[in-house]
Amino acid sequence: MNKIMIIEDDSVTRDELTLLLENEGFQVKAVTEFTDVARQVGASAPQLVLLDLGLPGKDGFTLCMEIRRISQVPILILTSRDSALDELQALNLGGDDYIAKPYSIPLLLAHINALLRRSLGAQEPDVLEGNELSVHLSRGTASAGDTSVELTRNELRILVHLMRHPGEIVSRADLIDALWDEHIYIDDNTLSVNMTRLRGKLALLGLPEYIRTRRGLGYQCEKKF
Amino acid sequence: MNMGEFLGERMGRVVTQGVFVLAAAVILLVTGTQAGIVVILGVFWVLMVSGVLIFDYFKELGHLRELESIMDGLDQKQLIIECAPEPDTVYERALFSLMRRAGRDMIETVSDARAAQKEYREYIESWVHEIKTPITAARLLCRNADKNLQRKLTVELAQIENHVERVLFYARAEHPEQDFLIRQTSLDSLVAEAIERHRSLLIPNGVRIETCDLEHVVYTDRKWVCFMLGQLLQNAVRYRSGEPVVAFSAKSLGNLVQLVVSDNGIGIPAQEVPRVFDRGFTGSNGRARGGSTGMGLYLCRKLADHLEIQLDMKSVESQGASVTLTFPAKSTKSSSIQH
Repeated sequence: MNKIMIIEDDSVTRDELTLLLENEGFQVKAVTEFTDVARQVGASAPQLVLLDLGLPGKDGFTLCMEIRRISQVPILILTSRDSALDELQALNLGGDDYIAKPYSIPLLLAHINALLRRSLGAQEPDVLEGNELSVHLSRGTASAGDTSVELTRNELRILVHLMRHPGEIVSRADLIDALWDEHIYIDDNTLSVNMTRLRGKLALLGLPEYIRTRRGLGYQCEKKF
Repeated sequence: MNMGEFLGERMGRVVTQGVFVLAAAVILLVTGTQAGIVVILGVFWVLMVSGVLIFDYFKELGHLRELESIMDGLDQKQLIIECAPEPDTVYERALFSLMRRAGRDMIETVSDARAAQKEYREYIESWVHEIKTPITAARLLCRNADKNLQRKLTVELAQIENHVERVLFYARAEHPEQDFLIRQTSLDSLVAEAIERHRSLLIPNGVRIETCDLEHVVYTDRKWVCFMLGQLLQNAVRYRSGEPVVAFSAKSLGNLVQLVVSDNGIGIPAQEVPRVFDRGFTGSNGRARGGSTGMGLYLCRKLADHLEIQLDMKSVESQGASVTLTFPAKSTKSSSIQH
């Protein structure tokens, strides 16, 4: 499990961030004592540091430099100061990424995951499998048995999101949210159209009931068995 | 000042003197002075008076020219009296010292006003940064509410953020000494960032976004352009029609890059189009719907002017509006920090 260290002085934000990241399956260590922060980072050896720039006592930029001196841990800087100079300075002093407050939660998680992937060299698996269906991400195809169909980018992303949450009911709103994460900016109607086409293609593979509609709730992909 | 004006002003005095000289000549003739001598005296008088007039004219002209050239060279015109040379005559010196007193008072007032404005701006900036902490906390807290409430709250929080952003950029746009940073940036990532920031406004309103040919590179300030695109997105949502679609497309014209943002909303009446970038202009649409401040596009134009981006609005009523941003060529802007 990846350990994330939160260095943030606003207690509400800190607690909520801790909760959010724990729910996302990270191990979280929040700094509450702002003396000797760099040493604390060294001692707990996290995989990622979330650093707020407006800390009491010490300037966040200095802190960033101090952490960098003792550790190569990726640092994601969160700040409400967003002038162009602040951003440059933050990145020059050893920050790896930069998000301006107030950030949206999906954006924050996307940045955290991207940074972790980059530093740990973890790769998204290229083939997703669920029940009889396997989806090849880079080729953009879905196949079952010997038959395979080509999917459009939208269809692929819809299918992948549902397959990553097997058994869960995914609401249309969540599905649209997830697609926007991938820079596919669709509306409700387009989602319906894409879903119909996707089901048509799955039917060609002999899996017409692969995605079930739960009326009034959303869509569901069968859990693996 | 020309010769005519100069003489015109002194004509009264010259005529009075002339009348006096004529009277003196008559007296001299009557008392037996030879006519020749009277004529010579008259000629002397005319020579003397015109000599004095010409001397005065060129002296005053020279003095004025000097003052004008000092004025031209001054960055802050109210400092003219501080830089002008001390005049020669007692009367002028008295006037000069009065002007100087007035000038000093004005300089003080101006610098007080500047300092107050600067302090106010700094306060606004720091306030904006402070308010972002509780907004962030509220965003995170939101997650604890049920889905429905969470979505509604997120929309409201996004509105708060948009208002806060406008305040910040108002402070920045009115005082261009604020730094902006021209850097190479790709249009597609810029557009993606602007859309991401307005996601909680766009999705609940059922907006579909189409992007096309955005693989261009521009040299500009990312944050400022992101803010501008945000204003356009907010407008597209506010003035939307049945099935809102916002399209982003780009093309390059020689070494310029054009980004077109168009919507299929209710559009703008033709006679109002030229005024949409005016400060506080809300138009008939804004009045009919309420909630518009007339600041969004005004700020866009201000920021665009600083960044040398050309902004054009086209609209057909009830069919939609499109805004074209023409980014400057690379050669006119180098990577620099402006203060």
